[in-house]
Amino acid sequence: MVQFANVVVYSYQYLLDPKVAGYISKEMQKESVVVFDEAHNIDNVCIEALSVSVRRQTLEGARRNLNKMRQEIEKFKATDAGRLRAEYNRLVEGLAQRGNLPFTDNWLSNPALPDDILKEAVPGNIRRAEHFLHVLRRLVQYLEGRLETDNVEKEGPVGFVASINTHAGIDQKTLKFCYDRLHSLMLTLEITDTDEFLHIQTICDFATLVGTYTRGFSIIIEPFDERMPHIPDPVLQLSCHDASLAIKPVFDRFQSVVITSGTLSPIDLYPRLLNFHPVVSRSFTMSLTRDCICPMVLTRGSDQLPVSTKFDMRSDLGVVRNYGRLLLEMASVVPDGIVCFFVSYSYMDGIVNSWNENGILKEIMQHKLVFIETQDVVETTLALDNYRKACDCGRGAIFFSVARGKVAEGIDFDRHYGRLVIMFGVPFQYTLSKILLARLEYLRDTFQIKEGDFLTFDALRQAAQCVGRVIRSKADYGMMIFADKRYSRHDKRSKLPGWILSHLRDAHLNLSTDMALHIAREFLRKMAQPYDRAGGSGRKTLLSQEDVEKMGDGILNEMQY
Amino acid sequence: MASGHVIKRAKYKTSPKGAGTPGVLKMTENKIMFKPNDPTSASKIDVEFRSIKGYKNTKEGSNNPPLLNLSLEQGGSYIFEFENFLDLQVCREFVGNALTKSGDAAKAKSGDTAKAKSGEAVATSDRSTVTYPDEQLISSAEMELRIKLLRENSELQNLHKKFVLGNILTESEFWATRKKLLDGDSGTKSKQRVGFKSSMILDIKPMTDGRTNKVTFNLTPEIKYQIFALKPAVHRAFLNHVPNKMTEKDFWTKYFRAEYLHSTKNAVAAAAEAAEDEELAIFLKDDDILANAARQKIRRVDPTLDMEADQGDDYMHLPDHGIFRDGSKEITDSQHEQFKRTFLQDLNRQGEVVLEGRTIDVELEDPRTVAEALAQSRQESDENAKQERLDRISRMTEMEDLQAPHDHPLAPLCIKDPRDYFDSQLLKISDDTRAGSEQLRCSLSSEEAYGSLRGSISEIKAMGLSDPVVRPEVAVMVLNGLTQNISSTKFQLGKNAQESILNSLPNTTKEELLHHWISIQELLRHFWSSYPITTSYLYAKVSRVKDAMSKIYPQLEEIKESVPSDLRQQVFLLVRPMHQALDAAFQHYEADLQKRSAKSGEKPNGYV
Repeated sequence: MVQFANVVVYSYQYLLDPKVAGYISKEMQKESVVVFDEAHNIDNVCIEALSVSVRRQTLEGARRNLNKMRQEIEKFKATDAGRLRAEYNRLVEGLAQRGNLPFTDNWLSNPALPDDILKEAVPGNIRRAEHFLHVLRRLVQYLEGRLETDNVEKEGPVGFVASINTHAGIDQKTLKFCYDRLHSLMLTLEITDTDEFLHIQTICDFATLVGTYTRGFSIIIEPFDERMPHIPDPVLQLSCHDASLAIKPVFDRFQSVVITSGTLSPIDLYPRLLNFHPVVSRSFTMSLTRDCICPMVLTRGSDQLPVSTKFDMRSDLGVVRNYGRLLLEMASVVPDGIVCFFVSYSYMDGIVNSWNENGILKEIMQHKLVFIETQDVVETTLALDNYRKACDCGRGAIFFSVARGKVAEGIDFDRHYGRLVIMFGVPFQYTLSKILLARLEYLRDTFQIKEGDFLTFDALRQAAQCVGRVIRSKADYGMMIFADKRYSRHDKRSKLPGWILSHLRDAHLNLSTDMALHIAREFLRKMAQPYDRAGGSGRKTLLSQEDVEKMGDGILNEMQY
Repeated sequence: MASGHVIKRAKYKTSPKGAGTPGVLKMTENKIMFKPNDPTSASKIDVEFRSIKGYKNTKEGSNNPPLLNLSLEQGGSYIFEFENFLDLQVCREFVGNALTKSGDAAKAKSGDTAKAKSGEAVATSDRSTVTYPDEQLISSAEMELRIKLLRENSELQNLHKKFVLGNILTESEFWATRKKLLDGDSGTKSKQRVGFKSSMILDIKPMTDGRTNKVTFNLTPEIKYQIFALKPAVHRAFLNHVPNKMTEKDFWTKYFRAEYLHSTKNAVAAAAEAAEDEELAIFLKDDDILANAARQKIRRVDPTLDMEADQGDDYMHLPDHGIFRDGSKEITDSQHEQFKRTFLQDLNRQGEVVLEGRTIDVELEDPRTVAEALAQSRQESDENAKQERLDRISRMTEMEDLQAPHDHPLAPLCIKDPRDYFDSQLLKISDDTRAGSEQLRCSLSSEEAYGSLRGSISEIKAMGLSDPVVRPEVAVMVLNGLTQNISSTKFQLGKNAQESILNSLPNTTKEELLHHWISIQELLRHFWSSYPITTSYLYAKVSRVKDAMSKIYPQLEEIKESVPSDLRQQVFLLVRPMHQALDAAFQHYEADLQKRSAKSGEKPNGYV
C-alpha cells in the first residue's frame, strides 16, 4: 500500500522505532519528504523509542514465553524437523535472506541498527533454536539476579555487557543478534500471536540495544520508586539519553526532513539535541487580523503575595488559596470554557482536594461545572465530552488537566471550548529522577547543554504547548495566564515561542489577580465583537493566492539580505 | 354548541311533581327565555343568568324524569322537564358555562356595577338584532385567564372597560387580537423543570456533636434523588434490598457508613469492612454500572476527543517499552485500587449528571417511587445520539476563519462603544422631533449670538487684533449660538434619554394623550382588520368602531385647545399623527361606503 500512496500519515513510531520501521517504512523512496509535525517533543519520542524497562513481571512473562517456545520446538522436531533445518541453513547464509521477507535495499530496512549487523552472519552459537533458547534463559536468569538489589545501581552499556559476559557467558555479538534471531525463530515457529510473546521480545530488544550501542545509554536499576519507598517495585531500565541516535537513520535515509511545530522554541536547541545541521531554520509569525490572544504573567495573588509551584511554596496554603481565588474570579468573568493546567497529577489532586476543603471549589462550581483529567483514558474522554456539552449548552465549564498529559498534547480547546487557559506553575520535570539526571549529565558532557537550560527549555515548551491549546484559527480568541512568579524572569519567559511573546506586553508581565481580572474583562469585551473577516486594516483572514505570493516574495527578499 | 344559544323543547314546572307547561326553552349567553306553546299562558319567563344562583338536575338512570332546576337569587326556582336526558345534558352544560361566565363578569366589574349593568342591557338588546357567527363559548379556564390578565394589566382593563363594556367591541373580538397574550400565558403554565445545582451533594457534610463518636447525616428527598442519579449502584441496591432485605433507614445508615469510611481515605480499613459485609461492599466498590455505561458512551463521543482510540497509535502504552520511571509519569498505589474511588472521579460523575439534568418528574417524597421512576428513565434509549454525534463532528471540523463569510440578513449588533449605538438611535428619533424642540431649547438666541459676534468685531476694529483675537469664552458662545440648530438635539436629547416632550406636559394632559393613543391604536387595529367587508357582521363592527373613533376625534381637539399656549406646539405635534391615522380610516370608510352603495344601490343601513 505504501508505495502507491502520495501522502502517508502515521505516527512517529513507524519511522523512529527500529522495531516497527523495518516493516512499515522500508518501501519509502529516498526522495520522499518527511515532515515531523507537532515535533516539539520529538527528542522525547526518540529517546522512548530506544529505551526499555524490565520489571519482575517482564521476566516472569519471558520465562513463560520461553517454555512455550520450547514446547513448540519439540513439536516441530517431531513433525516437521525440516523447517528448523531450513532455518538453520538460511541463518548460515546470512541474515539478509531471513524469513520470507523479500527486500532489495536491505540496509534501509532497519534504520536504527548499524549497517554491520545486517552484513554479518548470525553467530554460530545461536543458530540452532534450542541453543538460542538456552542463551535467552541464561540472560533472563542474569537479569533476575540483577533486579534483586537494595540499592540504586547505574551502569554504562559497556560495563553491563562485560558483566553479562562474565556471569552468563553471553558475549556482545550474541546479544546484538538477539532481536533478529528471535524474530526469525518466531516466523519459523509460525507464531502469529505476537502480543503473547511481548515479554520475551522486550528482553531481546534490551539485549540488542545493549549489545549494539556503547554510548548514549545507561542501565539504571532501582529497587523502588523514590516517591514511594515503602512499595518494592524493582525495575531495570535501559534508558537512552541521546535523541539523535533514533532519528539519525531518518536523516541519513531521506533527502528532505522537515521538523515543525507551534512550540519549537528556542529553535536553536533542537539541532543540538538531535545532532543535525539545519539547511533552513525559520520561525514564522502568525498573520493575525486582530490581537486575538492575550497572554499574561500573573505573579501575585489578590493579597499581593507571590504565587508559585516552587517546591518550597507549593504546599503553602496561601498559594493554594490565591490560585483558587484566581480561578474563582476568572470563572465569574470568562464565558464558556476555561482550561486549567497543573504541573502534575499529584499536585492537581492535592490542590483540588484542598480547594474542596476550604469551600473554594463549591464557589467555583456555582459559576461553572468542573471536569477533570484522570489517568484513566476512558474516564478522561468522557469528561472531555461532557465538558464540551456543558460549553455547548451555555452552562460553561472548567477542565482541570495536567501538563505533559494526553489532553495537553492532543485536545484542542478552541472557540468557546476555551476562552481562557491558566497554567498553574512551571511544569518542570521531576528533577530527582535518576533517569533525568543521567540524561542531563550526558547532555552536558556530549552537547554542552547546561542542566538548567535544558530543564527550563523542557518546562517552557510544555507550558507553551498547554496554553497553545486555546487558539486554533484567526477567528478564535483566548487568554493565557501563566500563574507563577518565575515566568516573569527573563530566562524563563524568553523561551516561550515567538507568537506568544509578541503578544505579551510589558505591562502584563507582573500582574496580580485583580489586575488580571480587569485586563480579562476589557479583552473579552473587545473580542466578543463581530469578527471582521475582510480585515479593515488590510490584513485579510482568508488569503488569496495573490496575497500568498506577495508574502512569499517578501520573505524571499528578507532571506536574501 | 358552536352558536351562542340553545333552543330545546321543555316543560316548565313550578314544582317537580306538577304537570308543567309545554313550550320552548331558549338560552343565550346571558338570558333564559321560555315561550309556552300556548301564547295565552302566563308562565312566560325572561330572566338574565345574573339572577340565577345555581342549578340542579336529575341524574340519568334514576327513575326521575330529566329535570333541570334553576334556583333564583331572590328565592324560588324554575324547573324544566326535557324530553330526554340528551337535551338535559346540553342545557346543563350551557347553564354551567353561562353561570361561571356571568359570575366572573360580576367579579371583574366590581367597582362600577352600575355602568356594567347598563352596558349589559345594551349588549343584550344589541344581540337580538345581530347574530355573531364567531361567538363561541369559551372554557371557564380561558375565562379565568382573561380575568387574570385584566386584573394584572390595568391598561388592558381600561381598554376592555371602554370598548367591550362600552359595547363597541365584543368580548371575543377584543381577545382575538390578543391571542398571543393568552397563548403565551398558558405556555408559561407548564412549569420549567429545575435542573440540578452545580454543586450537588458535595455539601452533605456529617455533623458531629463533639462529645461522642456519633455522626449525623441530614437526608432530604432531594438528596436521596441526587444520590440515586449519581450512583447507579446505590440505586440498584436500593431497588433490590429495600424493603425486602432491610428497611430504608438501615439502607441509608449503611450507605453513609460506607461514605464515611471513604471520606477517611483509609482504603485498607474500607477493604476490611467490605470483606465482612457484602452490602457495604456495594457502596465501597467501583460502580460497575458506571463502567459499563462508560464503555457505551465512549462509542458516541466526538472522535476528535477520543483518546482511547488514539491509544494504539502510541505504542508506549505497551508494557515495558519506553521509560518507565522518568519522573514525568505518575505513579499510583495499585493496592486496594477498587476501594479508592477518587474525589476527582466523583467530580466528573457529578458534572455528567448535572448535564443530563433531571430525568424524572415525580414527587420526591417517597424514595421508592423515585428509584423506580429513575430506573424507567434510564432504560429509555437515546436514538438521536448518533445524529447528534455526526452534527458535532461536522461542527468540529469546520474552521471558522476558512469559511466564506455568512450573509446574515441582519446587521450584527456591534457595540464597541455603547455610546455610539445609543447616539445613533437618538439621532434617528430626534429627526422626527427636531422641528418641535429646537426653538424651545435654545438658551441663547441667534440675535444674541450675532450681536456678540458683531460686538467683538467692532471691538477688533477699534482696538486692532489683540492676542487672542477673540476671547475664548466669546468664541465658544458664538460657536454654540450659530450651531444651535445642528447641535441642539444632540445636546438636549442625547444627554438624557428619559426626557421627552411628553414629560414636559402637565400630567393630566399626558395621561389623556396616552390613553387616547392606546384607544386609537386598538380601534384602528380592529377597523383595518375588518376590511374587506364580506359579511354583515363585519359591516356592523366597522360602523361601531368608526362611531367610537369619531367620538375620540373631537376629544383630541379639545385637548389641543385646553393646553397652555406655550405647549400647544408640542401637543399639536403629538396629536397630528393620531388625527392623520383617524382621517385615513374615515376616508377609507367613506370610500368603501360609496363604492358599496354604488355597486348594489342598496342602503347599507338596512343591511341586517
